[in-house]
Amino acid sequence: MHELSVAAYLLEAVSEQARQNGAQRVTAINLVVGERAGIVAESLRFAFDLLAADGVAAGAALNLRQTPMCFHCDACAADYTPAEAVFNCPRCGQYGRVVDDGSALLIESLEVQS
Amino acid sequence: MSVRVLHVQENLLASNDVVAARNRRRFDQAGLLAVNLIASPGAGKTSLITATLRALAGWASVAVIEGDIAGSVDAERAQAAGAAAAVQINTGGGCHLEAHMVERALDGLDLAALNLVFIENVGNLVCPNHWVLGEHLKVCVASTAEGHDKPAKYPEVFAQSDAVVLNKIDLLELTGFERGVFYSDLRALNRRAPVFELSCRTGQGLAIWLDWLLKHFAPEARVGQSSAAGAGQPG
Repeated sequence: MHELSVAAYLLEAVSEQARQNGAQRVTAINLVVGERAGIVAESLRFAFDLLAADGVAAGAALNLRQTPMCFHCDACAADYTPAEAVFNCPRCGQYGRVVDDGSALLIESLEVQS
Repeated sequence: MSVRVLHVQENLLASNDVVAARNRRRFDQAGLLAVNLIASPGAGKTSLITATLRALAGWASVAVIEGDIAGSVDAERAQAAGAAAAVQINTGGGCHLEAHMVERALDGLDLAALNLVFIENVGNLVCPNHWVLGEHLKVCVASTAEGHDKPAKYPEVFAQSDAVVLNKIDLLELTGFERGVFYSDLRALNRRAPVFELSCRTGQGLAIWLDWLLKHFAPEARVGQSSAAGAGQPG
């Protein structure tokens, strides 16, 4: 529900990276987005295309790599990805502890032309 | 024309983080504590603030930054409850506060005269988590009336909070709220955050929340409080 704000920050960060690296054009943006970060990929692409207009990142492909929420079960000494809103270990039923809360919002890399 | 890959590995909201760090420096220079309150609409953020203001009257100078989509009702409530100052931010439809909004609000406050600033975020359990504001403490307010499934449905805010307030505890019997489920899910996400079961309406449990809050005040304030408390101790 906040994709437009996120897209505005993304464009700012990407434009700054392009400027610092002397890039003429950004052709692809590779993002890491946690599955619980509340980002709808299509909404983000729509907002980004709108804002990027005819600037340095116009037409750039937005590639999202989704990372899952992850817990660790001490009893089983194993990590697990919870199903929806059930946080118990699927193997033994105990409650684990969160390792990754699935909130990542990261610019991993850019593909640019210069 | 050459094609290159730039390895960035940067938080997407890095420019917000820069402004948040500036806010944090201003809070630290003023020696005050800044608390970011996050909750769904109706959980009791404003009630927690006004109950805290009333309890701290004469003890601490508290300002409130109110984030709302529209209107200034909450700022008026904070002022009526004894806030030294209340600044209303209207996001105009935006679902969260951002660091630059808080930065502008700080320009309207005499920070050096304050001990505590509450930042009441827009009522929302999702979006506010991504935008740090420069706060020292992030506090999530849940309530029994909302149900026990909030940590399971909105894990991020519970995982990242420094404390959780469980408000409307006086309604516990009426709501079917299951403590066991709430705490199991919460502890899977966050083992360190204390939980304060309280009622802003009746005042039940409020003292323990206040004790915790007072422990996080600036060192100067802590010195003042401990000597004041010490003066009242026998021997």
